[in-house]
Amino acid sequence: MIYIIDHEDSFTWNVVHQFSAFDEVYCSNYYEIDRKKLNKSSIIVFSPGPGSPSDYPLTSKIYKKYKGKKKIIGICLGFQQILYCENAKIIKQNRIYHGYQSEVKVVSKGSIFSKYKKFKVGRYHSLKLKEPFKSENFQITMRSKESNVAMAFENQKDDVYGFQFHPESFLTTNGKILIKKILQS
Amino acid sequence: MRDYKKYKLKFNPYLDKLYNSDKSLIIYKVTNGYNIYTDFSKKIILNNNNINSFFKFFNNKIFKKETDILIGFFGYEILCNLIGLKIKNQKKINFYKGIFYKPETIIKIRDKISITSNIKKHKFKDHFNSTKILSPFKSNISFEKYKKIFDLFSKKIRKGETYQIKICTKYKNKSQINPLNFFWKLMKVNAAPESFMIRDKDYSIVSCSPETLIEKKGNSIITKPIAGTLKKNKKTSIKSAYRFFKNNIKETKEHNMIVDMERNDLSRICKPGSVNIQKEKYVEEYKHLYHYVTSIAGKINKNVKIKDIVKSMMPGGSVIGCPKIKTLQLLNEQENEERNIFTGSFGYIKFNKDMRFNLIIRSILNFKNYSEISAASGVVLDSQATKEFNENYIKAKSLLELFK
Repeated sequence: MIYIIDHEDSFTWNVVHQFSAFDEVYCSNYYEIDRKKLNKSSIIVFSPGPGSPSDYPLTSKIYKKYKGKKKIIGICLGFQQILYCENAKIIKQNRIYHGYQSEVKVVSKGSIFSKYKKFKVGRYHSLKLKEPFKSENFQITMRSKESNVAMAFENQKDDVYGFQFHPESFLTTNGKILIKKILQS
Repeated sequence: MRDYKKYKLKFNPYLDKLYNSDKSLIIYKVTNGYNIYTDFSKKIILNNNNINSFFKFFNNKIFKKETDILIGFFGYEILCNLIGLKIKNQKKINFYKGIFYKPETIIKIRDKISITSNIKKHKFKDHFNSTKILSPFKSNISFEKYKKIFDLFSKKIRKGETYQIKICTKYKNKSQINPLNFFWKLMKVNAAPESFMIRDKDYSIVSCSPETLIEKKGNSIITKPIAGTLKKNKKTSIKSAYRFFKNNIKETKEHNMIVDMERNDLSRICKPGSVNIQKEKYVEEYKHLYHYVTSIAGKINKNVKIKDIVKSMMPGGSVIGCPKIKTLQLLNEQENEERNIFTGSFGYIKFNKDMRFNLIIRSILNFKNYSEISAASGVVLDSQATKEFNENYIKAKSLLELFK
């Protein structure tokens, strides 16, 4: 079962439908987390959401508890949330991307996606990862073609993945494939 | 049930009597004409205590004839309350939070007029509704105040607390109106697809809403969000408007966001994989402006109730901003006057649970000798306060002109 934690976003149910194509999904509000179901699930997804990672301490706790034990996937805020737990700084961007379709490319050789592959993706983020960022087993695997901002990371050892863009958006052309690959890896 | 003779549109004696009577009535635009609902046998005034029993009203009901329907509106506040949001410290005029009516007579105006009624003998009491304009329109917010809220929201967007937020402006005057007169005048110049009118004893609503929020038949549901407005002039056409929207990054981004949000709201109540964009980014033409529209459809899950549909879809996202909950909280903190009907929803629920609801925008609410017209436009990162402030005026214009 996949457990999706909804940070009260207006895109979470698109994520739910996208993951439902692969497995049973349970989704709950950030304020009403079902601990039993969470414990039983094999995959945890942190949804997009407003604000910044420091607004969601419970999600950070859950991340720390299950890192290395379950597959964890973060999308947008969820992506930032995981990096924040890995001591990254999440900062404001000069240019803000809301409802913006842009191109990302795979920049790392070790990625589950082939290097130099490009994807058209939908973006909704005010904040970004401050770089340089270093954490054990984490690698930035995709970057924005335009601004070079970090767009995806992988930690294959601990089975942790994140997208700064929105694979569930209608602006992302191959969202389902991206999710499928992550789930299969 | 009795079918009356079919009359021609002009000089219909039944309609003439109805219009000039004191009867409450509702008119709703349909694709090729109008439906008029009257002879209400039931009137449910909604509040936070009876709203659940209102939703349960439809359980075990059977749809036998066209009058098996409740028609009316949900105001903005009760819709916020339904999703757990309280509104504090706002100036109120104590207008109804929502009202639904059960009609016994439906008149269909198409090429011909047909009347369906459960009432055998129709009686009319003459009543004259006069229009009196007692003061000029005044906006409830100065540009300075608007700019202040605008700047505050721009900061919130930078911090990622909201991605898009719509500030409401209200125009108010002291007046009595003849709603039928206003409505038909409005329909001559701007017969928007979701137009409606309500005439009741102590209030009236006249609206040329362009936006369909819910169209539900069986387990199929469609929503048609509008995001993107372009003012008309002599040089513009549907084609040039389309080019404008397509090439305008700000409008495109605003629109994309609403499409993903409406996909989300449908997905909450629909079967996984069933939510699809039917028609992406097309232009609709109105009297003073063009709109940028997308239609999205889905198949509703089996165990979903009417209440779930209302809670998921309302208040309609395109007039609020995104993400919905956080943005509603921000709006409710900043707006100091109650929205009343504005950004609520008008429509009907049939006894077979088919429904149609619009977004209440472009509307006049006349209550206690005041008329109010509200309009809202969006703050996204590239918006300019002056432009958005003026956009609110453009949106209200065809309604303000009725008072001339």
